[in-house]
Amino acid sequence: MANAEVEAVDFEPDDDDLMDEDVGDGSPSRAAATIPRLKSAITGGGSSTPKKTKGRGFRDEAAAEADRNARMAGRFDSLDSDGGPGPERSIEGWIVLVTGVHEEAQEDDLQNAFGEYGEIKNLHLNLDRRTGFVKGYGLIEFEKFDEAQQAINEMDGTELLTQTINVDWAFSKGPFRRRNMRRRSPRGHRSRSPRRRF
Amino acid sequence: MADAEDNGEFYLRYYVGHKGKFGHEFLEFEFRPDGKLRYANNSNYKNDTMIRKEVFLTPAVLKECRRIVSDSEIMKEDDNNWPEPDRVGRQELEIVMGNEHISFTTSKIGSLMDVQTSKDPEGLRIFYYLVQDLKCFVFSLISLHFKIKPI
Repeated sequence: MANAEVEAVDFEPDDDDLMDEDVGDGSPSRAAATIPRLKSAITGGGSSTPKKTKGRGFRDEAAAEADRNARMAGRFDSLDSDGGPGPERSIEGWIVLVTGVHEEAQEDDLQNAFGEYGEIKNLHLNLDRRTGFVKGYGLIEFEKFDEAQQAINEMDGTELLTQTINVDWAFSKGPFRRRNMRRRSPRGHRSRSPRRRF
Repeated sequence: MADAEDNGEFYLRYYVGHKGKFGHEFLEFEFRPDGKLRYANNSNYKNDTMIRKEVFLTPAVLKECRRIVSDSEIMKEDDNNWPEPDRVGRQELEIVMGNEHISFTTSKIGSLMDVQTSKDPEGLRIFYYLVQDLKCFVFSLISLHFKIKPI
């Protein structure tokens, strides 16, 4: 795997970056191009090890894939964003994800812990559908960026009902790069020809 | 075990739908490795049109999704004894986690009775509850991000 990785990052796969973006233009060929990557290579440009597969969904792949392309092609609505890194504002405020929430926590516990940073506009504390206990995460909406940021800074890693919680933004303006994918090379838009050797 | 699940790929797709009087009615959502969550809900009931939403999630959200999946232990199951998709409907669950890739298909599950009377009640129960938990998660994310609160 190490060797394949080295070769893959030597040229800048800018085309792959385009494929990572949404199939916004609705063209079926781009949808077809994106979906197989997810199934066979799952980003990473072919660096992934072969997977152990299981399940009936692997039969009849061509037909299933055609159906999927038809369903998932076309424009998907999103909120406008400049696409850069960093948190993204939701329709009326900023959403923060809390994880590690104790299974017996109640909405009031989150209200009390987070309410000091600003008025909580929305709070979702979903239950485990089987046990009825809290599933383990909560989503909290603050109206202002600063309120949410302060809640994150001060509450992340603290304890709630004897359990450590983590607090972070929920939504991002753009995709995140996985560790073994290189950023754009400082060489810019070079062609794939090898370096000249003197 | 934590390593194999925390590192490496993560991809999840769920589909439930049927074709009938109101066209191809389906719900589908997809957590992609780059953080994008895509959500689609289609029905022609009363001439309704397709809803399609997408948003980028932070690594924290993907990590929580992984935890929900790995806590369910769905990756240990197999669909070979589950009811096949039929006229009434179809469900698909595809997950890539670490070096495992599952792609399960089954019919719609009306209630726990369907689970109890199947040939693999243990496995199907895990699927049944995981799907509900995932739907809760996705509906919360999508509605918080896109829906305006009524007065």
